[in-house]
Amino acid sequence: MKTFEEDKKLKSLLKTIPLESPGANFSVNVMNRIFSKESLLEKVKRERVLGKGFWVILILFVALFSAMFIFSSGGGGTGGGLSEYIPAINTNTVTQEYQNFFERIGSVPLSIAGILLASSILVFVERFLSSKIKTFQNHA
Amino acid sequence: MEQKDDIFYIEKIKNGQTQYYSYIVEKYKDVVFSIALKVLRNREDAEEIAQESFIKAYKSLHTFKGKAKFSTWLYRITYNNCISEVRKRKMYFASTDDIDVKDDDSDFNLDGLPEENREKYLKAALDKLPEDEYTLILLYYFEEQSIEEICKVTRLTESNTKVKLHRARKKLYTILNDMLKEEIYTIL
Repeated sequence: MKTFEEDKKLKSLLKTIPLESPGANFSVNVMNRIFSKESLLEKVKRERVLGKGFWVILILFVALFSAMFIFSSGGGGTGGGLSEYIPAINTNTVTQEYQNFFERIGSVPLSIAGILLASSILVFVERFLSSKIKTFQNHA
Repeated sequence: MEQKDDIFYIEKIKNGQTQYYSYIVEKYKDVVFSIALKVLRNREDAEEIAQESFIKAYKSLHTFKGKAKFSTWLYRITYNNCISEVRKRKMYFASTDDIDVKDDDSDFNLDGLPEENREKYLKAALDKLPEDEYTLILLYYFEEQSIEEICKVTRLTESNTKVKLHRARKKLYTILNDMLKEEIYTIL
């Protein structure tokens, strides 16, 4: 019983002691850190991962690849040229063309390497130009 | 009532009204800072860890389901943060065996403390307690957390918490007793 009473007394005594307090700007600092983290997160969310330049380059890449495929099909032996290709669509032709496509890929590694190299250069140019534009805008 | 207040504000924060978190920070900053200060023994480090604890709690607020008291959840984050920091810095907890606990000290009468210096004595005695026991005293007496809640914060078992709390109380009495004896000797 004495312990319980003493415990109660100790509790009331301890409660009179003020606890240690952090600096005056503690709450403001915590809130500022939270707000800055939130705005950073919002910025990341707002910024598109793939910029406009990427899509332009991708379209160029696809266009180049298609052009290479269509115009090189003349040497493939299954009839060349765009005008011959379209009416010939049926299941067998599609399967045949599918196989030919991969054969052609295998036979023109240099062209593909060239296209990949060109697209890499384009990506680099796009990144370089966009960073220059941003720097220019910051200085303006 | 306090828990209801916390839940009210937490719901608002969860709904995107971040500014209400300042209420939570303001309410709990002293306890969080006191725990950090006791463990890290340096005001700057304690402030940094206390801030980090609040930020960590804010980030994980969506995981708080309200099953336990918010304060218990926050103190657990703080305590874990402090322990991780101590481990990272390879610091060591103060030895709990450097104060010789005597059984007769549990009969210490708190009324024997001079009224005008009670606060000074108690503060000094609390300062002398090791970090883990100080945290138990802080949570149990200052924050009036139950044994079950303290277990959640410290991850100790219920029996271990009870034993440690009993020991911490005894140690506090021993320190106070020694301080009073010293005071009497200096007067004489």
